[in-house]
Amino acid sequence: MNKIQEPKAAIGQAIDRVEGRLKVTGRAKYASEFPVEGVVYAQGLNSTVAKGRITRIDTAEAERQPGVMKVITHQNALKLATPDEKLLKLDTKAIAPVLQSPEIHWYGEFVGVVVAETFEQAQHAARLVKFEYEKDEHRTEYKDAGEDDSYAPSEDMQHRRGDVEAGMAKADARVEVTYRTPVEHHHPMELHAVIAEWDGEKLKVYMPAQMVNDATIGISDTFQIPKENVHVISPFLGGGFGSKLQAQEHVMLGAMAAKMVDRPVQLTVTRQQMFTNTGLRQENFQRMQLGATRDGKLTALVHDTLSHTSTEKEYQEPCGAASKMLYQAPNARITHRLVPINLPYPWAMRAPGEATGAYALECALDELAWKLNMDPVELRIINDTQVDPSNDKPFSSRLLNECLRIGAKRFGWDERPKEPRSRREGNWLVGYGVSSASRAAPLQKSAAKIILERDGDNLQATVQTDATDIGTGSYTIIAQTAADYLGLPVERVAVELGNSDFPTSAGSGGSWGAASFTNGVRSACLNITDTLVTLAGHDSTQGDDLVTLMKKADLTRHEAEGSASPTEEFDDYSVYSFGANFAEVWVDADTGMSRLKRILSVGSAGTILNPKTAYSQVLGGLVMGLGMTFMEQSKVEPNHGNFITRSLSDYHVPVNLDLADIQVVFLPEEDKIANPMGVKGIGELGIVGVASALANAVFNATGKRMRDLPITPEKLIATELEPGLARK
Amino acid sequence: MRPYEYIRSSSPAEALRANAASEKPHYLGGGTNLIDLMKEDVERPDTLIEVSGLDFQSVTANAAGGYTLGAMISNTDTANHPEVKNNYPLLSMAMVSAATEQIRNMATNGGNLLQRTRCPYFYETSMPCNKREPGSGCGALTGMNALHAIFGWSKSCVAVNPSDMCTALAALGATVVVLQPDGGSERRIPFADFHRLPGDTPEKDTNLEPGELIVGIELGEPKFSDNYYYLKIRERSSYAFALVSVAAGLQLDGNRIVDAGLAMGGVAHKPWKLTAAEEYLRGKVPEAAVFEEAAERAMADARPLDDNEYKVEMGKKAIVRALMQAYERTA
Ligand SMILES: Cc1cc2nc3c(=O)[nH]c(=O)nc-3n(C[C@H](O)[C@H](O)[C@H](O)COP(=O)(O)OP(=O)(O)OC[C@H]3O[C@@H](n4cnc5c(N)ncnc54)[C@H](O)[C@@H]3O)c2cc1C
Repeated sequence: MNKIQEPKAAIGQAIDRVEGRLKVTGRAKYASEFPVEGVVYAQGLNSTVAKGRITRIDTAEAERQPGVMKVITHQNALKLATPDEKLLKLDTKAIAPVLQSPEIHWYGEFVGVVVAETFEQAQHAARLVKFEYEKDEHRTEYKDAGEDDSYAPSEDMQHRRGDVEAGMAKADARVEVTYRTPVEHHHPMELHAVIAEWDGEKLKVYMPAQMVNDATIGISDTFQIPKENVHVISPFLGGGFGSKLQAQEHVMLGAMAAKMVDRPVQLTVTRQQMFTNTGLRQENFQRMQLGATRDGKLTALVHDTLSHTSTEKEYQEPCGAASKMLYQAPNARITHRLVPINLPYPWAMRAPGEATGAYALECALDELAWKLNMDPVELRIINDTQVDPSNDKPFSSRLLNECLRIGAKRFGWDERPKEPRSRREGNWLVGYGVSSASRAAPLQKSAAKIILERDGDNLQATVQTDATDIGTGSYTIIAQTAADYLGLPVERVAVELGNSDFPTSAGSGGSWGAASFTNGVRSACLNITDTLVTLAGHDSTQGDDLVTLMKKADLTRHEAEGSASPTEEFDDYSVYSFGANFAEVWVDADTGMSRLKRILSVGSAGTILNPKTAYSQVLGGLVMGLGMTFMEQSKVEPNHGNFITRSLSDYHVPVNLDLADIQVVFLPEEDKIANPMGVKGIGELGIVGVASALANAVFNATGKRMRDLPITPEKLIATELEPGLARK
Repeated sequence: MRPYEYIRSSSPAEALRANAASEKPHYLGGGTNLIDLMKEDVERPDTLIEVSGLDFQSVTANAAGGYTLGAMISNTDTANHPEVKNNYPLLSMAMVSAATEQIRNMATNGGNLLQRTRCPYFYETSMPCNKREPGSGCGALTGMNALHAIFGWSKSCVAVNPSDMCTALAALGATVVVLQPDGGSERRIPFADFHRLPGDTPEKDTNLEPGELIVGIELGEPKFSDNYYYLKIRERSSYAFALVSVAAGLQLDGNRIVDAGLAMGGVAHKPWKLTAAEEYLRGKVPEAAVFEEAAERAMADARPLDDNEYKVEMGKKAIVRALMQAYERTA
């Protein structure tokens, strides 16, 4: 393997997306758009209490409506698999039973589904199904939960090293603060949807699935049928951000409905249901304790996270993930605890753990820098480490200090207001903020198939893998990879994705997609080249092109598979992408309205396969981070236990006018330990640290510490100046 | 959405007749509010009578020395109309701060006057709301009320009127012209009496009688065309309703305020005209201290709820800022 000359002709080029034209002309088919003959429509029904049980259901009026075929509730639902334990631990392959009992666990839980000939008929009839409930007192509050009222979900979410108390005692400066982040939702542009079609015991499912293979397992396990009987088709996804990692309940609802009416069924989750039925980023209370010596060396780091999960399903994002490994703190304690309450189940959302955790960690560092009267960039550099302190493994490569230094220079960090609330432009207070970012760069086993078809001297390659394009440009980077490793121009490579008939890939999630897919495709390309060399009776060192080899072997068609797994060395290292964010924020001195003026993200993420799609990824992360900082939140109504933010008109995400001067830089980095192509993930890195860079800039501008996201005008008006400011 | 009948009327008389003939009719303007509410099952008309095509599509000079805005003109065309921009720039500025260009292209002036509150309890049919379902209670009063009223609310409703256009109209003064169902005779409603406070009947947003068709908004002589500002405080730069907004207009004579128009949005069941502050400002020399005193007077009788105390402070700052911006436009 070592002898391989890694080609870089198409790889690294900022080529336009090969799938771009299909998308903008509407020819890229998304799940709900497939023309399936005889399809009928289903509309899910939701509970309107947060806890209790259904005591009566009246379906008569709904059933009388024209076109209505069936109303399905727990009373007549198909029996599905049940979890082994009371609390179903969510993972990407998890079962998702639905309508199995009259019990209600959160407001908005699915309680039924109406199937009708048309979408409009189903929607209308859905309003007419009447449920009566026996209500129990629900719980949606938990912030004061103590040890006896919360639990630690798993041992690997807890980490201890050194002696925290001793470390704190030694410190010259200490920070002890709690940060809160609210419930957020994934809200990809494409609504979750499914078309399910049964043929006897075989089930075909069109759905947006980030991980096709895992969705297939989730569905087959839920219906207790062999995995081979489930065929998942998911060529394009209009975003996912984690919400499409597993086959969720609506997929089972659609498939159940299809089985029960014996027709293909299309079910689209409404935007309102995207708040309650597709997972969410949970609210977190993160208690931080930092201690440092006068010169900034961390002596202790504590990160205790308290979050909620559903009473039925368990998931916790690891907010302490970055705190564990990012800085050289000899004494550290990272804990995670959960309280089961009556809210929809949480689920991984873009950079789960890091996005929210970095807000707490990187704001706490800023607070520490302020107490030490130190440049926050320098404080981070002083605490750099080339060895992961949580497991003593060296980092495969780590350019965090370079990101910080180069970023500071490019951004003009020296020009920052050295004192908070010291720079004014008219009615605006101006502030600068910085943060570090990190995100694991895993590789997951990924296979692909290459099909070569020769017509005279013309060669066409087709790549097949169940990898997915969630709007990221997977088609493009896979085409670039195959082109280079087959020695073909990109135009000669067709890419087919998102089909469970294709070789199993890692799927899109956890920032492993690009690295895993492309290394898998690389292996398939090397395999097909090797076999052709053998078939042609050549010696590989001759370096003949594939057309020559196929002619020699008298082949017009040939195919081969290949697959990539982590390298042997991989386990001896900690493998991460790193970055630094620099932001300038203006805050209106009176109204509390904030504006991002400019932001610079400097990243080190190994080989950048395509600077254009890479830029888009980080850009998207920065914009999502901007939303997280200033506007995204769901509010829970205490008396009813529901979200009163129930549409995109109440749940604010950034609009174009909120955007600013956004610069993205990638440092050159070669990391052959990560994987042969040296690719590291960037899908999540972009959002990590944005909220802290912005919140730190808000402090620098206003002198107010904003420890509760989002930072809205009403909170800025209600927040006092930081007491330490009197020092001036 | 529930099934309904759709009628496209070609004359006001026809629209009024169609209205009288159905049980639960609704006129349809741009539909940007009504259709949303139908999808949410909040509004349940059996008949929609399209009126957006009726011939009230222009801005015309009127006897009062001002201009009348046709009720069926889009919000975009109204805001961009040269006579509106020149003579009532405060209105234009407020209108373009609302929603998005796409929504403003659809929205009509008549529909805007009648747009309903964005209170989440009103929108969610499983929660109590006296405005949607009289007698069911006010969920917001004892629930979450950060976005709700600080003036004029009652125990039965704490919702706010969300319109930016109407806030500017309150500052400017206007008259709403409507046709009555009995054969189309005209009724003219002073703007201050158009919207109402909730009292015990929050289901009624306005004093419009059933079946009345809005055909125009009459404005008086050009007003505040030099010194005006519409300040909208919101959670993102566009496409968000106001937490608090202020429409401010000043008429200056040398270094004196001769007339002032001041109204707030996002604080009451109706666009909230700050009459006491307006009176105080008349005759004063414009300066920060005067504007601050006006703000104090404006907010003197504010009655915040559990979650919206911030609106008092925000409101004061917004008033001072809006007046200052209006004043500094030429100063
Ligand atoms: C996402 C979103 C954001 C928005 N943001 C803002 C904002 O920031 N600020 C703001 O001010 N507004 C905002 N709006 C509201 C928007 O301004 C209103 O929806 C619009 O003005 C309504 O006008 P329309 O013609 O579409 O009314 P319709 O929806 O057609 O009608 C509204 C009501 O008026 C009645 N009606 C319509 N025309 C007449 C008539 N001629 N006579 C009698 N009755 C009539 C209808 O029967 C209905 O009850 C927003 C709307 C949306 C959807």
